[in-house]
Amino acid sequence: MAEAVASRQATGYQGRFLGLGSDAWHILGVIMPGVLWIVVFLVVPMLLLVGIAFMTNGPYGLPEQPFTLDAFRQLAGFGLLGWGPGNLLVILRTLWQTALATLLVTLISYPVAYYVTTRPPALQPILLLLVVAPSWSNQVIRAMGWMNLLAPGTPLSTLAAKLGLIAPELGLFPSAFAVTLGLVYDFLPFMVLPLYASFERLDHAQVEAAYDLHAGPVRAFLHAVLPQTLPGLLAGIMLVGIPAFGMYVVPELLGGGKSLMLGNLIARQFQDASNWPYGAAASIVMIAVTLVGLVVLRRLSRRAAGGVEVVL
Amino acid sequence: MKSRRLGVSLRIIWYLVLFFLYAPLFVVVLYSFNDANTTTHITHFSLRWYRRLFGNAQVLDALKLSIWLGLGSSVISAVLGTMLGYGMYIHRGARRLAWLVWIVYLPVATPDILYGISELGFFTDVHARFGILRPGFLTMLIAHVSFQLPFVALVVYSRLVGLDPELFNACRDLYANGWQRARFFIVPTLSPAILAGFFLSFTLSIDDLVISFFTTGPGNTTLPIYIWSAIRKGVTPEVNAAAAILIGGVFAAATVAMVVQYMKALTRRQRNALL
Repeated sequence: MAEAVASRQATGYQGRFLGLGSDAWHILGVIMPGVLWIVVFLVVPMLLLVGIAFMTNGPYGLPEQPFTLDAFRQLAGFGLLGWGPGNLLVILRTLWQTALATLLVTLISYPVAYYVTTRPPALQPILLLLVVAPSWSNQVIRAMGWMNLLAPGTPLSTLAAKLGLIAPELGLFPSAFAVTLGLVYDFLPFMVLPLYASFERLDHAQVEAAYDLHAGPVRAFLHAVLPQTLPGLLAGIMLVGIPAFGMYVVPELLGGGKSLMLGNLIARQFQDASNWPYGAAASIVMIAVTLVGLVVLRRLSRRAAGGVEVVL
Repeated sequence: MKSRRLGVSLRIIWYLVLFFLYAPLFVVVLYSFNDANTTTHITHFSLRWYRRLFGNAQVLDALKLSIWLGLGSSVISAVLGTMLGYGMYIHRGARRLAWLVWIVYLPVATPDILYGISELGFFTDVHARFGILRPGFLTMLIAHVSFQLPFVALVVYSRLVGLDPELFNACRDLYANGWQRARFFIVPTLSPAILAGFFLSFTLSIDDLVISFFTTGPGNTTLPIYIWSAIRKGVTPEVNAAAAILIGGVFAAATVAMVVQYMKALTRRQRNALL
């Protein structure tokens, strides 16, 4: 309260004449309802979750006193039967699926974003809309579409079986492949949009110069296109990689038991398996990886933008 | 020669990607109109799955719940989000309020699953301690508002940043007090942004599965939760029909949002013409 007033006086920014005058209560009345809602119903629950990770699993699956590190020991793979690599594999698989999906999304998005910028300007928003529109439909329904397409007995699965890629009685779904496909499908627009924004400002003279210096297409891309589109690429990686790592719906529906990701492991502890402290400990891993990813990507994009502060 | 080949391959990639993006949704709609009992082959056109769907009281209840939840949470989000977005604009540049940005981006950046389980833990604990907030419609509504509100705030904020700051001076020069400013300047100027935020909220609400799933109680099934539970038992043409309705609904809402966006541009042009 007093701090807000002091900062307004110290910085002398527009807040003074923007209307609410020196009436700081009024300003707090405008901001606080929304902030309190988020703090009480998201920040507090998150802190509670972190706390649960340090508690003991009770007989009904609910957390109890005393505080221990049992959940973390279990997460590291130490169970009743000694150490097993299961949890480590889930975390590694989650990282692998995230990296693979992000790479594939990038490879597809570059030509798509570039193609859109080569079209007439009036057409470009409509083309972008065409790319984004499918992501407005429900996540579950999008995954269901792929279940329809990849199930055993469907043309795609039959073709894959004839080519010897899968056993004839199986389908392309459920599988790790279907999970990757689902992730690529869900996140493609989030890479196309920032890349498009970068391509729109691309200095084509640099590309011409690269060709004039007898660079092949690969070197022209690496030296003229990539550096210029790097801010868009990094923004895209942030918008694709971070949510892909926390994905729950796609692996739950499209993956089998052997393609579980971290989100599914966590969810299970709050459902049938019922071990809240263990699930909360796994959540901390997810929070940590997400935060590290955000910080690293933010730093990289700030550097790519030449020290300019990047929003988001 | 080289650039033409590049142009052709770009075009081919573009159409392949469009096919990739629309094929799964198309298949859902296709099977919903297909007479066969399975989703592996096509026989002929039929509306029987829709008829059966609308005879299913569970589905209708779920649809009703989804709409009420979407409307209720969007109204609250629009009000609180507009206030928050306005406050963010007023306080932009205030160093001591830099944390505001973190608070606003937290719900946007939190993975759904963490969101869902932390809410589950919170509501369970609050109910055990104080006997209030039993998991059900109210808890779902609270959770939905908490993730929709920042989106409204951001839409309103970006609209305010685009305004001429002199307009605020004009208000001051006319000695408008707080309520008069809100009534005659802020709300009318922001109404397209508030409306866009409202529709965005509604879309997010109708779309959400994971957060609803973990905050709901027995008997409170939204349409996405219904579809989710149904496909865990296997995809049927009936579920495809329910999904096709949802696809249609979201595309309709998106169209409305686009019209609002267009009207926003129109009023700005009209204002310029007037000046």
